[in-house]
Amino acid sequence: MCTRLQFEGTNEIGVVSMLTNAYALTCVGNSENFFSVLEAELGDHIPVVHTSIAGCRFVGRVCVGNKRGLLVPNTTGDQELQHLRNALPDAVVVQRVDERLSALGNCIACNDHVALCHTDLDRETEEIVADVLGVEVFRQTICGNALVGSYARFTNQGGIVHPRTSVDDLEELASLLQVPLIAGTVNRGSDVLGAGLIANDWAAFCGYDTTSTEINVIENVLKLHDDDDSDDDGPQKPERFRDALIDTIC
Amino acid sequence: MPVYDLKRLAAVPSASELVDIVLMRTQRKTPTVVHPGYKITRIRSFYMRKVKFTQQTISERLGAIVQDFPRLDDVHPFHSDLMGVLYDRDHYKLALGQLNTCKKLCETVTRDYVRLIKYADSLYRCKSLKVAALGRMMTLLKRQRASLGYLEEVRKHLGRLPALDPSARTLLVCGFPNVGKSSFMNKVTRAEVEVQPYAFTTKSLYVGHMDHRYLRWQVIDTPGILDHELEKRNVIEMQAVTALAHLPCAVLFFVDVSEQCGYTIEQQSSLFHSIRALFADKQLVLVANKTDAKKVEDLDAGRKQLLEDMLSAHRTNGPGGDEMAKMVEMSNVTEQGVADVKNLACDLLLAHRVEKRRAYQGGARVRDRLNRLHGTTPDAVEDIRKVAAAARSEADAAEARVAKAAPRPTERDVMWRNGGPGVYSADLTREYIGQLKCDEWRTDLVPEIMDGKNVLDFVDEDIVAKLALLDEDEAEAEEGLESAAREAAHAALSPAELALVTAVRDKKVLNRRVAQAARGRRNAPVPRQARLRSEGAAGNDEDDATVRGRAKSAAVKRTRSLSRPSERDGRAAARAEAMDVDGDADANPAKKQKRSASRGDAHRSQSRPPPRDEQGLNEADQDAAREIGKKMQKKMNRMARSGEADRKTGPKLIRWMNEGKMGRGARNCR
Repeated sequence: MCTRLQFEGTNEIGVVSMLTNAYALTCVGNSENFFSVLEAELGDHIPVVHTSIAGCRFVGRVCVGNKRGLLVPNTTGDQELQHLRNALPDAVVVQRVDERLSALGNCIACNDHVALCHTDLDRETEEIVADVLGVEVFRQTICGNALVGSYARFTNQGGIVHPRTSVDDLEELASLLQVPLIAGTVNRGSDVLGAGLIANDWAAFCGYDTTSTEINVIENVLKLHDDDDSDDDGPQKPERFRDALIDTIC
Repeated sequence: MPVYDLKRLAAVPSASELVDIVLMRTQRKTPTVVHPGYKITRIRSFYMRKVKFTQQTISERLGAIVQDFPRLDDVHPFHSDLMGVLYDRDHYKLALGQLNTCKKLCETVTRDYVRLIKYADSLYRCKSLKVAALGRMMTLLKRQRASLGYLEEVRKHLGRLPALDPSARTLLVCGFPNVGKSSFMNKVTRAEVEVQPYAFTTKSLYVGHMDHRYLRWQVIDTPGILDHELEKRNVIEMQAVTALAHLPCAVLFFVDVSEQCGYTIEQQSSLFHSIRALFADKQLVLVANKTDAKKVEDLDAGRKQLLEDMLSAHRTNGPGGDEMAKMVEMSNVTEQGVADVKNLACDLLLAHRVEKRRAYQGGARVRDRLNRLHGTTPDAVEDIRKVAAAARSEADAAEARVAKAAPRPTERDVMWRNGGPGVYSADLTREYIGQLKCDEWRTDLVPEIMDGKNVLDFVDEDIVAKLALLDEDEAEAEEGLESAAREAAHAALSPAELALVTAVRDKKVLNRRVAQAARGRRNAPVPRQARLRSEGAAGNDEDDATVRGRAKSAAVKRTRSLSRPSERDGRAAARAEAMDVDGDADANPAKKQKRSASRGDAHRSQSRPPPRDEQGLNEADQDAAREIGKKMQKKMNRMARSGEADRKTGPKLIRWMNEGKMGRGARNCR
């Protein structure tokens, strides 16, 4: 199930929040509406945590993590770090990374097994990513963009990448990540998927402008459909849905 | 192809308004002052400019109208035909054409009159020619009254037309009046079209939208069509025909099988066959409506045959090749079959559109977007890790489904209970519950570390109290020290000396008090000059001055020499002399006057000079001067001449006309 939501009028929810299989982070906003949507969906299973990073709201763009760990940039304050350590389960390692490219969320994309990272990332950082998050790290670009975290979003189930990624690139990425991939958009044609979409293995949230076709693509590739929908007329099944997609994007 | 925004056409002024607009603009935007004395070339250009400017305004205004209104040849054929039907194509084109002609005529008039003005030999002639030119142009404008009025009506109507997108996915509902078209529209969309039990309730096209299969669909409700020749159709019917003719869409042809609409199935069938040509190359669904009143199987054989004929008459070029149209039974009352009709029509149209897209440019566009259509699945089989994760997600999803039954209280509820957004600030430590070893720790402050040291380690809690105590101690110690020093000093003195010291101290205190009292009485500081003068005038004892170790007169002299002319200095010396002979002061009245003046009034500040009437000329001289003054004024008054006391207004100089480097007349605007 992919839910549309907004943060204080903006659709770029991936900027102000992040979601993994073990926890979710959101920034501290003026109102609790955004937090409560995540809390209502996820609160029973994983902690949903308010935090700021370096006193700022762009939590999702500067942090990267999976169920094993969380990497925060070197601008993170001690109190923020302590807050995160207090709030997250003990199994999650919170680690501060001394990296020049401090927007880790833009430079790294990962699931619980594999990570893609920016081509200019430090070797030490790469090692930290591999150790703390327990993943294989590949230096990659997506459709010529080094900011892999901005232009891709993938989970253990599947992933969605920049709409202009060629079929060959898609195949290469899919073989690296070992998950099904598709090129697509969010927020009515936006190509910054990292900013428009947050997802884990069983839940996803996207910006409020996302069209139903886009949502269906996301749900298909991230395998977010509930099984009990199968006895429905099932228009969301990929084969039947393809017509609608062709009519929309071709 | 120009893009017309039919909703935002500028309002068209009426003829009289247009005349006002044009003339006002000419008046406001061209120079208004001209004199017969000017050079004739200047006068001519002044009037030529007026005429030309008026013509420009007219051209602009009329040109904008002609430009703004959509040209019927340029818009989508559907809009073109619809406007042709609604507003009468000829009338519309004529109105715009007339405005264009009017514009051209104005240009001709202007050309002629400017040519005449070139040869005019006086201001009067120029002016007459200008008046004539403007008059003719205004007459031309006034003649456009009907066209302008008509275009304004068209504009208003265009603004209210439904926002119909000819290229969108469209379902078009058509049929005889009263067969249930609008009811169906209200069932599938939220357009809220009026439904009434009489014919032609719907008098124009209505557009509604619905969602189906993740796509947006446009449903168009058309007015009912009667079965007669095209030429006899009225405007209301023609709108439906126009939509049918030009929109690529799926057509829902409604047949009232119960015949409650007042038309038999034969008539409806005949209508179908007469407009069948319009359905060519469209997806057709025959809707057998009002099945709650009569089912299709209950119809007699002849009627059934008619329906069959209608179906077989139409061929749809569907994805499966040549297919017959389909018939669906439906009832708006029981809502039976409504969804079927919708699904069938949408699926047919979508299949057709997808077919076209796939065929477009040999399928190049679809090939380009294959990455977005199919995606890629890696060749490797499912990893064990992923299976585990999937299993976990399944469990979580199931759990989530259970949890959805009773929604958990969220932070949002807490926020609204505590003052709402902006007021409430979330308790971040709530998130620590269950994560810490001991829940009491969660309210502990997080230490603030600076340079590797805990800031709190260097903080003394009662630093303020300690500081206050320290201050107190210090003050006490200081006081003790002072008193000890005083006592020690006194101990060294003999009783006599002590008495003297006490006397000196008391005297000092007394002096200070006296000085304070004096300051209190007259606390305004008196300037030195005035102080000296008053001292001199009061004739204070000479010895007071000498006591201070300086001769008084010398002091006075010194100050005076600095501030006053020497002539008066001499007078002061005389006064000082006079003071010595105290007895015969009355002998010299002038001197007495001076003295009394300097002694001054009790209420007059001594720092001020003596009053005007006591200064200067004596009374006799003053009288004489007054007489002379009166005499001098006599002639002036008698001849009513203006003097310096009269109010005077100088010539008004307009700044921009009188400054700058340009000479007069170097530019037209001057």
